[in-house]
Amino acid sequence: MAEIATICPYCGCGCGLYLHVANSRVVGTAPMRAHPVSRGRLCLKGWHAHELADSPDRLTRPLVRRGDELQEASWEEAVSEVVRGLQGVIERAGPQAVGVLGSARCSNEDNYLLVRFARAVVGTQNIDSGLAAYSLPEQIAAVSDARIADLDDADLIFLVGAEPGEEEPAVGAHIYRALQRGAKLVTASVRRHALARLAALHLPLKPGAEAAALGSLLYELVVERKLAGDADVTDLTAALADLKPAGAEGKTGLAAALVSGAADLWQAAEKVVVVFSSALAASVEGARAVSAMGAFRALGAGPRVAVLGLLGRCNLRGSWDMGVRRGFLPGAPAGDLAAEGRLKAAWGGDFASGEGLPAWEILDQCQALYVMGDDPSRNLPDWAARRARLEQVKFLVVQDLFLSPLAELAHVVLPAASFAEKDGTVTNLEGRVQLVRAAVKAPGEAREDWRIIAELSRAFGKPVSPQSAADVFAEISQAVPAYAGLSHHSLQAAGGAEIGRDGAADALAGAISALRAAEDGAQAAEQFPLLLVADPTLGTWAEEVSVSHLPVAGREFTVTGKDYPDGMLVLNPADGRKNDLRPGRPVEVASAHGAGRMQVKFSPEVPEGIAVTPYHHAARHRIMNIVAEVETGRPVFAPTPVSVGAGK
Amino acid sequence: MNAYFLPRDRVDELVGRLLRAAEVIAPKRVETGDVFYSPVSSPGEVAWDYKTAVEPLKRFLLPQQETVLRFSTGEKLRVEPVLEEKDRIFLAVRNCDVTGVNVLDAMFGGEIEDPYYMARRRRATFISLACLEADEQCFCVCGDAGPFLKNGYDQQWTPLAEGMLIEVGSDKGQALADAHQDLLSPAEPDQVAEKLQLAKRAEETFGEFRSYIAAAMRRLTLAETPDEVWERLADHCVECGGCTFLCPTCSCFTVTDRLEGDGGVRERHWDACLYNCYAREASGHNPRAEHSQRLRARFFHKLSHQWAQRNGRHACVGCGRCVVGCQAWAHMSAATEAIRRG
Repeated sequence: MAEIATICPYCGCGCGLYLHVANSRVVGTAPMRAHPVSRGRLCLKGWHAHELADSPDRLTRPLVRRGDELQEASWEEAVSEVVRGLQGVIERAGPQAVGVLGSARCSNEDNYLLVRFARAVVGTQNIDSGLAAYSLPEQIAAVSDARIADLDDADLIFLVGAEPGEEEPAVGAHIYRALQRGAKLVTASVRRHALARLAALHLPLKPGAEAAALGSLLYELVVERKLAGDADVTDLTAALADLKPAGAEGKTGLAAALVSGAADLWQAAEKVVVVFSSALAASVEGARAVSAMGAFRALGAGPRVAVLGLLGRCNLRGSWDMGVRRGFLPGAPAGDLAAEGRLKAAWGGDFASGEGLPAWEILDQCQALYVMGDDPSRNLPDWAARRARLEQVKFLVVQDLFLSPLAELAHVVLPAASFAEKDGTVTNLEGRVQLVRAAVKAPGEAREDWRIIAELSRAFGKPVSPQSAADVFAEISQAVPAYAGLSHHSLQAAGGAEIGRDGAADALAGAISALRAAEDGAQAAEQFPLLLVADPTLGTWAEEVSVSHLPVAGREFTVTGKDYPDGMLVLNPADGRKNDLRPGRPVEVASAHGAGRMQVKFSPEVPEGIAVTPYHHAARHRIMNIVAEVETGRPVFAPTPVSVGAGK
Repeated sequence: MNAYFLPRDRVDELVGRLLRAAEVIAPKRVETGDVFYSPVSSPGEVAWDYKTAVEPLKRFLLPQQETVLRFSTGEKLRVEPVLEEKDRIFLAVRNCDVTGVNVLDAMFGGEIEDPYYMARRRRATFISLACLEADEQCFCVCGDAGPFLKNGYDQQWTPLAEGMLIEVGSDKGQALADAHQDLLSPAEPDQVAEKLQLAKRAEETFGEFRSYIAAAMRRLTLAETPDEVWERLADHCVECGGCTFLCPTCSCFTVTDRLEGDGGVRERHWDACLYNCYAREASGHNPRAEHSQRLRARFFHKLSHQWAQRNGRHACVGCGRCVVGCQAWAHMSAATEAIRRG
């Protein structure tokens, strides 16, 4: 038995773990005490990471569509099929007709070479993240500056829209330990989750008023208690004018006394860490709330403040750094001439350097799609419509571990190596670059994602020089300033290296414009008395092939689908009784936008008058109001007034 | 039972002989600095100075994932059990962990024998190394499992100033001592006295964690703990399962079939009674649907008199691994404290 030190492939915490290897097979997972984030702990997913590598459902050979069927093929056939398919579209419609989606599940090396493949080999600038619809890199990068270890000496933790105990359990562990040593916790969220029940104070967020609620607290801190210090807050104060807690209760849903209580705890602290979930960004007002957090960092008096944005997927931050992000090159925004020069030198000439389309437009407009390690259709609010559109795509290539629902539609499916079968690096939510190590060989003919991309580049007549993941990383360290000076060799120690951010925007300016635009919370109506909210922190893993195929952990996640086959509608028990509903039973949920059937769950976590459903469940139906965000055109769910029919 | 002395300069010689006789599992430091019980191939690999290992010994007797049988469904159904049979010596392992194996024995070697576990267990020899200093998370004094034991091991070694004191605790341990008499001498009274002194000193090194096992045992047995305690504890638990996987005595597993061609293999995986679906029935009914009910079931199994009577002791050895591995704050020390406060 050997113990291979590596990094958990699931959420953005980047926990250290060991894979136990016996007879060339991964047979177990153990936690890493020496790891600075996880310190000997793992979550439900992490404890079962070995099951991912060992799953009998893994793809082991390339598949090529012949007629209606995906049939096994050799790598040579599959690669030439990909080249033929992509070149066909390029010849007919130009390279911009090809869209490429990278993955937070894949390593920096995989994502970097994919960006290079898209921009320099195919010649398309249409490359984005499969998670783009609910994780806004600009806003998050602008406000999040803290390290997870900042929680360890915080005396006030302010948790906004997040339940890290469920979403990023390793961060949750730091918070639970902070509570044990006497730190205070203030929570602000729609659901009164477990950590909210342990908080010194809980601020119930009104759906659609997330930014206004934060604005109300900012008003109290900046204007009433003068915690801005020497900072110039004229513009900020102006943006907050309508949010004075005493007059804004109707707007924010927060009683002035609660805001003042939170401000008391804030003032009594020496160090505050604001922790927010990137899932907030899945709604218009949630995204504004994320930006508004930039104002906390501008407070010049009172406690020291750090802001920590939680990212729900392993290498989301790293994939952004590599340029799997609309309008961004590896390490710099598109249009940055220095970056273009660096990349031209590294990539051997001109490349498509424009901003490109965001993921939702790529899915709508591109005739050919190349998707690595994700199922982006599921991460958009109108999944059903997207799926129909994907069936129309002329040429779809999917590279993944399992035959995902997206892969079933593909023309070519390429089997990828899992985290346990490849060397590489991932960057966690706080910017910790860490080494992932191959413990075993990939099953069958599966290959590392970066190697597949390198092979395709060669087949396109533009070979890339790196021969190993370490070589790819050497190129990354040249191309992406934040990674300069790092190498696989220098990242050997547990915890790797911590890096800063390239090209983060001005946090205060972002906060001011977000707060200026903040709207009142949504209101239920007589005909539709409940406000339905899509929650991306509920049940997201159940939809992930990387979890659903695990024999033990998968059972825990996929049970939601068994119990709530049409979708889960979570209600306060009082609302359930009022409507004569029974848990587990299907009900008709109707709104001005459509109707659908869901199964009911009762939970006191959800306040009366509100109904919560997992984001992915909402996406299956046409019940909720889908709006386009003004600034970006991004389709998002808006809190939607609904009625629930009699139980059947 | 007998006690012997092994001079310091002969320790490696004895370990070398053990290595030639069997697979030796001993504490080994990996590159991160963490220590695992792991196969060693030379005496120099043994981390004699370690405090505690990341994991207990369970993995070697009840692997996290194992093939228990192969079957083929051709013309005739054929089923072949897969048993792992080899001699293993567990060297310099901690007394809490040896005690943990004794608790597992009650589960897997009791009325209904588990052939897979027992095939490994019968050929295992446990040589413990008594702790001279507790680790931060340790509370084996509360668990009645260390730092020094009076029985339960095959041999217990204590590092004295000049060498090892070797106490024999079983026929297997005696046979091992007999086979290497040329390296050993009978222990002198002052060597036994030195051990007692070390044991006393070791007990003074325990840190902040303790476990109110007596209080918890009585209240769990009599169902005196109010529901609110479990509900509150549920808010301090994220159901990662870490406490159960790291626990030397937890034995929950699940079984899955993996089809390959016209047959397949049956596999056993560690499972956790804290998981929502562990007790869920095929109908969808879940007898422990509430998180608080699952916590109550877990601690009842660990500490109730009903289970202690059946197993010969309660099921916490005080290794403290649940303290290290808890993603929130629902480990044994926190839970018994909550139960005691009621």
